This record gives sequence, structure tokens and C-alpha cells, in this order.
Amino acid sequence: MKKTTSKRMFTFGLVLLILVLAACAPLYAPVYTVILLTSILMYMTIAVSWALFSGPTGYISLASAAFFGAGIYTSAILGKALPLPLVIVVGALASFCLALLVGALTLRLKGIYFVMFTFGLVELLLHFILWWEVTICGTTGRVVPPAGNATVFYAMLIILVILVLTVFIIRRSRYGLALFSIGENEEAAAHAGVHVTVLKIIIFAVSALFMGAAGAAMATRWTYIDPRIAFNPLISFMPVLMAIFGGIRPLYGPIIGAAIFTYLEEFLITRFPYYYMLIFGIIMVVAILYMPDGLVGLIQRLWKGISGRKHADT
Amino acid sequence: MGSYMMVTILDVVISGLLLGGIYAVTAVGLSLQYGVARVLNIAHGEFIMLGAFITYSLYTRFGINPLICFAICGPLVFAVGFILYRTLFTRLRMSSPTPGAFEGNSMLACFGLLFIIQNVAILIWGADIKGYTYLAFPVDLWGARFAANRLVTLGFALAICLVFYLFLANTRLGKAIRAAAQDPDTAGLMGVRINQVLALCFGFGALMAGLGGALISISYKIQPTMGLEYTMIALIVIVLGGLGSIPGSFVGGLVLGLVGSIVTHIEPGLSLVAYYVIFMLLLLIKPTGILGK
Amino acid sequence: MKNKGWIWIFVITVALLFLAGPVGAKEAAVKDKIRIGQAISLSGPLAGAVAIAGGPIYELWVEEVNKNGGIYVKEYGKKLPVELIRYDDKSDIGTMTNLLEKLILEDKVDFVFPPWGTAWLFAAAPIANKYGYILIGGPGGALKLKELSLPYFFQVLNFSETQAPALADIFKGVGVKSVAVISRGDLHGIEYGNAMVPYFKKKGIDVKMNKSFPPGIKDLSPMLKEAKSLNVDAFVAAAYPDGGMLLTGQAMELGIDFNAFFISVLPFSPKLYRGTFGAQGVEGVMGGGAWNAKTSPGAKELVDKFVARFKEEPDYWGGLYYWSSLQHFQQAIEKAGTLNQKKIRDIMAKEKFNTALGPFWYDKDRYFVNHPGEIGQWQKGVFEVIDPGPKRTAPPEYPKPPWPKK
Repeated sequence: MKKTTSKRMFTFGLVLLILVLAACAPLYAPVYTVILLTSILMYMTIAVSWALFSGPTGYISLASAAFFGAGIYTSAILGKALPLPLVIVVGALASFCLALLVGALTLRLKGIYFVMFTFGLVELLLHFILWWEVTICGTTGRVVPPAGNATVFYAMLIILVILVLTVFIIRRSRYGLALFSIGENEEAAAHAGVHVTVLKIIIFAVSALFMGAAGAAMATRWTYIDPRIAFNPLISFMPVLMAIFGGIRPLYGPIIGAAIFTYLEEFLITRFPYYYMLIFGIIMVVAILYMPDGLVGLIQRLWKGISGRKHADT
Repeated sequence: MGSYMMVTILDVVISGLLLGGIYAVTAVGLSLQYGVARVLNIAHGEFIMLGAFITYSLYTRFGINPLICFAICGPLVFAVGFILYRTLFTRLRMSSPTPGAFEGNSMLACFGLLFIIQNVAILIWGADIKGYTYLAFPVDLWGARFAANRLVTLGFALAICLVFYLFLANTRLGKAIRAAAQDPDTAGLMGVRINQVLALCFGFGALMAGLGGALISISYKIQPTMGLEYTMIALIVIVLGGLGSIPGSFVGGLVLGLVGSIVTHIEPGLSLVAYYVIFMLLLLIKPTGILGK
Repeated sequence: MKNKGWIWIFVITVALLFLAGPVGAKEAAVKDKIRIGQAISLSGPLAGAVAIAGGPIYELWVEEVNKNGGIYVKEYGKKLPVELIRYDDKSDIGTMTNLLEKLILEDKVDFVFPPWGTAWLFAAAPIANKYGYILIGGPGGALKLKELSLPYFFQVLNFSETQAPALADIFKGVGVKSVAVISRGDLHGIEYGNAMVPYFKKKGIDVKMNKSFPPGIKDLSPMLKEAKSLNVDAFVAAAYPDGGMLLTGQAMELGIDFNAFFISVLPFSPKLYRGTFGAQGVEGVMGGGAWNAKTSPGAKELVDKFVARFKEEPDYWGGLYYWSSLQHFQQAIEKAGTLNQKKIRDIMAKEKFNTALGPFWYDKDRYFVNHPGEIGQWQKGVFEVIDPGPKRTAPPEYPKPPWPKK
């Protein structure tokens, strides 16, 4: 009993230390580091939100770009009229509502059909908004007032912290268990008295909420927004790759995956501009071959190996 | 007026089929890979791109007729697909604890392949748009006018799909593939060398993509980054036709081509929107596809 | 079990904070070269366009400068060779903004070159401006960019505001009575399409059709057939290379002829356009641009150098524009005698220098105005400038000969 308490204290302290270190980054780190960290935070937010829903339920969503894009678009439309925090909140809510709608529509879809639907959603939004702007409004593309590097960094950090807390609370609550039971066996979960559909939709929408917030904050870095920029299908695939790479189940899996992926990409792209895709691709294939449970799985296996040997020695 | 209407309708229908034929060939390949080999091949479009570029090189460099290029680029792309499955995906299938995990992992691996193939293509051919002209003259059919190369393309697309269908229906190997599609475990028990069959399936899927790419290069301009666009269309088509159904994919391809043609005729700006509206409506209303029960 | 992951996160956070810091970007004790950074699309959907329009010009300029020993900077009392550092933005605007800031902040390059594309310029210009870096706009341009009014941004390429009236004048001159306009559903298509229609109307040219099509469309034949059924004299498309290639291919395959055939962004490329359809195939096609070897002795020299280096002709829209803007830039640096952005910027904004295309200067909005030409037309394998006035290298060929029958 006492051991777990001290362990918990240790974890808590460590998380706090990470947070303080990160929060002070703009004070001591070079400006570009802050910019890179902002990107990392953005991908962490998307990957963790993605894993919040798709991790336990096993429903692979490829709609991240739609929710992220909804946030970006809110920023593009309201950026000049409202202060940044408000824009982020509105962006998050817009995304939330979109996800409620999508969630309600896709109730019956399972497995690959759900994947396909969410994938189609991004393209549909992209082409529809493009057509709408071109034909109905007669213009496309909007200029977003830029925000300072540190501002965007703190916005992303705050969004991520709130997200991590939310995930933590949800996982600890009985809803978290219920979510996992959906992943294990949806019918059984329904029989066991879990209000499966409502829970699914709410969690789906909550995960979208954070993606929308991230989009609204990041848009201020890009100045010019059009549907093609806002609804980039890569944003749908990246969190999936990052989460699988890091490990979906534990909360820190997607965080690690997002950090390593983003950093690795930046590293390769600047060192090997003509070969980085090749190297990145090879790393991905090798990673998936030798780490089927993600990086976290590999680490745990290694860890077990080390601690197991220690036991054997004594 | 009546005959003008008729010509317009004929025009729209045949234009749709011309586009649909290409969609059908590429989708049949993806359908085979997903339906049997259980790999949702996001890199499908890269095989299309490979087929297109091999044809382009053979035609512009050595003057080989694009339709004869089939005989060269088909086996080449098939070999790439077959070897990939034997090495990479078989290993993944063995190490993945559940079929679901295999689907996820193989999709991730396909992403890696996408990056690798695209980068290699850029290194070989450069990143710029390329194209050539072949049979670029008009043909009049019942008062409507079509491009000769597209008619030839459609003919080849239909022939490829027919040959492939006959192969599946009538040969021993074809039957083994169909058995594996139904239930890989039982098929394995019944003496089908399952890894071999799945690898052949993946190879045939790549082959269809390669042939589709060769056809595409005749009518469209090509570049190393063109793949994802065609992957997306192939995904729509296999849902339209019902996942895993090969005749379904064929019909789905033609239907999608028709829809695109009709919408383009009415409001060109909405042609791509229409693709996705149909795709998503179908998923909601009848996820088993237009031919499904 | 639980906290092991968090330990890893801690390790990674710390590692990132240190690793992400400047690596090897130490300022050399003795200034021995001028480093110029460029984040541009080497992969992704835009890469194809970069390779045919603009990309190679920057490489050629750097090689050319270095062949002459570099740029003389008085502050250092010697010629400094130029090094071009290129990063791939994967055709992704977020990546581009990050890489541009990396070049400026971490690599501490002396200057930056522009990314490719209008939207990319939109995103890059405020960033460069924020850090007081000169950004000479390359491929891309839109009226909306003017609204940003950024003191360090210089617009080089001509655009619809000068090309549309020129096209209307040409059409009027050769006797075009009616026109069909189609435009790509994006900023380029809208601005271009919207700019042309009023000028056509002002010249009494009947706009019988005006439609937009989505990027990525696979069949443009319905629009060609519709325009043909309306019996228009001229077919005008505000399109990018992908749509333009499809359009030309389909018009040719279907034998649909118009007296004038114009595509905004594509015919300028001898490699892609003439290379694919042949000199006979593209005969009479008009396009945005424009210049050619006859424009000036400097233009001839550029074509020769480009052909010697890349075994193909340069693009006949932006090629000479970018090239000359870089020559103007080089002379501004030499005149300033320093690498100080502010000083060079002030000289660039007001000085007129002689370049390959002739005198080169920017107007009060820092827009380059002395364009070598607006509209080009393929005539016997040469992209002739057909603007009315002194820039013209050949009179327009009208009506356009029918597509070749094969």
C-alpha cells in the first residue's frame, strides 16, 4: 500500500517536472526550439485525442483532419473579430458539434466501414467547402492574423494539459472501463448496462473538441487558410501512425509516438531533403515489423527482460 | 431536338464508362488485396504510379507501344507485390496476435511503403509532371465524339477484368484464392498453401494496379505523387461494390465513372463532392455495397 | 509499471530540449560565404510544378554567381560565394512555415528565397517580414497579397491584373467576338477568372460561358463540348498544369477547335507542354507569360545558360522574371556593401538596376512593373510574346490552326 503511494507521488512529481520544464521553454530555449515544440505539442494533442476514442473502442477514426480543419476554419473566419482564447474555444465547440453529428450518423458502422466513412468525411468537407466558397461566395482563402510564437506555444501546451487531465479522469471513471468494454465486446457491453451509443458519441465528440482547439490555435501560424490547407488528409493519418508507433493503450504511448515522429521527421527533412521519405518509410516498416505493440510495448519487454534478469541474479 | 437529347445522353454515358473502366481495373486490384489478403493497401496508388511511369519510360525512351508495355510492366509490378507479401506482410501476419491487429499493422507498413516507393520514383524520374500522346484523335460514334485512346483504354480495361474474372472462376488457383477469401483458416486446413495464395493475391492486386497505371498514362498526365488520389478513388469504388467483392468492384468502378460524368455535365464544380456524397450515403444506408444483399 | 512511461517522456522531453537547440549552426569566425535558405516543395503534389517553373532558376543563379567568384561585399572586402540550403516542405504549408523559421532562427542564413505557390507566399511573407528578412516573391502572386502590405516583401511575377487587360486587347485586336471562360476552383482560378470577365465585356466581347471546375477533376470534355456548342471564338481557362494538360489533351483527342485557345498557367513550359504535345500540337496555343530569347540579349543569354546546364529550355513565364530579380538583388547587395537586410531592402525598394530583361525596379508597393511580356503564343516552336506594343516579338496567329490529325 505504502509502496504504491510513493510510486504515485513519484509519477506525479515527474509529470509536474516535465510540465515546468516545458512551460519555461520560451524563457531559456532558442526560438526555433519553441516552434518545433509547438509542432510536437500539436501532434501530441491530435494523437492523444485520437487515442482517447480509438484506443479503447477499437474504432479507427480517420476524421482527425476534419475536426482539426474545423478548428482551423473557425480561426480563419473569426480570427480578426475575436481574441485568440475565444477563437480556440469556438473552434473547439465547432469541432465538438461536427463530431456529435458524425457520431450520431455513424452509430451502426463498425470496423472498416467506420474507417472509410471518417476518411470520406474529410474529403467531402474539403471539396464541398471549396465548391461553396468558389461558387456561392465567389472567393476562397482567408488571411488569419498571426500570433506570436510563444503565444501559440502556450496555447498548445494548455490545450494538451487539459486534454491529458481529461483523458486521465475519463480513464479512471467507470466510463473509461465501459469504453474498454466496447472495444472488447460491444454487444456484451450493451447487455451489461453500458449506454454504449451515447458514451461512444460523447467520447468521440470530446476527442474532436481538442483537435478543433489545436487547429484553431495552429491556424495563427499559417497566415493563409484555404480548404486544401485546412483539410489535409495527412493530419488524419499521422495521429494513427504516431499512436500505433508509440503504443495505443497507455496514455503516454501516443505522446511518445508523436514526439519521436515529429522530431524524426524534422531531423530527416533538414538533413536529407531528397531521401527523407525513403528513410522515414524504412524506419516505419522496420518499426512495425519489430515492434508490433509499439514503442511502449518494446520498452516494456526490454524492461521486463532487465528486471527479470536482476531477479535471476539475486 | 430528340436526337440531340439522345446524343447528349450517349455522350454522358460513354464518357462515364471511359472513366469508370480505369476506376474498375484499379479497384479490382485493391479489392483483391483487401478482400483476400486483408491488407488495406494505402500504397495501392504507388503501384499505379509505377505502372504509369514504366509505361511512360518504355514508350518515350524505346518507342514501345503502350499497349504492348502491359506485357512488361504487368509482371514487373506483380513481382514487386508478390515479394513484398512473401517477406513483409507474411511476417507481419505471423507476428500479429489478431486479424484486427494485422489490419492495423499492415496499414502502417503500407504507409511506409508509400513513402519508400514515392521517394524512389522521384529519384528515378524526377518530381515533375510527365505525359505523352498516343492515339490522340477523335472517333465518331452514333453522332457523339470520343477520343480514340480512351475507347481503346476502356476496351482493355474491360478485357483485363474479364480475363481476371474467368481466371478466378475457372482455374485451380482461382478457386484456391476464392476459398482463401471466404475463410483463410479453413482453406489452410483444406490443403491450400495459404501464404503462397495470399502472396499471389497481393501480387495480382499490384498487377491490376500496374495495368491500371499503364492505362492511366495513356489518357492522363502522370507524376510520382499521383498515387494517393487514385488510392482514394479505388477505396470509394470497393465500398461502392461491397468490400471484398471482385465483381462488385468492377461494377462499382463503372457506376462511379457514370456518376462523375453525369454530375460534371450538370455542375462540374460538384463532381468530386458527388463521389463522396454517394460513398458516404451508401455506407450509411447499404454498407454491403450496391451488389450486396 | 505505470510510471515507466512517464520516465521515458521525461527523458525524451529533456533530450528534445537539448537536441532541438542549434546544432552546428555556429557562426563562422571568418565570413567565407553567403548562405541562402529556401523551403520549397521537393515532394508532394506541388513538386511537379516546382520542377518545371522556377525551381531550377535559383540553382542556376547560385552556380552562376559562384562561377564569378561570388558577390562582392565591401564590409568584408572580398567576394563571397553563395551557398543554397534547400529544405523540402512536402507541399505542406505548416512544414514550410516551420522550416522557414528554422532557416532564419537556427541556421541563421543570410537571406531566404521564396517557397513555391501563392498560398505559400502568403504564409511565408509575414514570417520573413517579422524577422526583417527580405523576401523576393517568386512563383505565385495574388491581388490579396497586396493587402498585407509588408515592407520586406517584393512581388516579382506578373499576374491577372496586367495579364487580363492584355489578353482582352489581343482578343479585340484579332476580332474575337465571343469567349467561354472556365476556371479552377481555387484562389488562382477565381482571381484570374474574375479579372478577365470585366475586361472582355469592356471590349465588347461576349462571355457566353463562365464556369469553375474542382482541382483534381478527371474529365473536362463536357466543358469543351459545351463551349463548342455555344460556338465561341475563344476558349479561356484559368488553370494549373494538371488541369491544363488534361484540357489540351482532351481538346486534341476530341478534335475540338477554337479560333483562340488560352490557358493561364501551363503553356509557358517548353518541357512539359511542347515536350508532351509537340511543337505542331501546341501551335497557336496562348498562355500566361511571357518572354523568349528574342526579348533581350540578356534573355538569350539566360536561355543558352539554362539549356547548357539542364538540357532543356527554361520556363517562359517566370524564368526571366526570377532571374532578373536575383540580378537586381545581387546589385543591391553590392551597392549596400553589407549583408544588412534593412540597408539592402531600402536600396532594392528605390534603385533601378540593369538586368537580363533590361532596367529592373519596384513600384511604391514593391511590385515589379517592367514586365517583359504578359501573353505568349506558341508559333513554330517559339513562345512568342503577342502583347500589343513594343514588347511584342511576333503578331498573334489567328485563327489558331486546328489540332494536328494523327
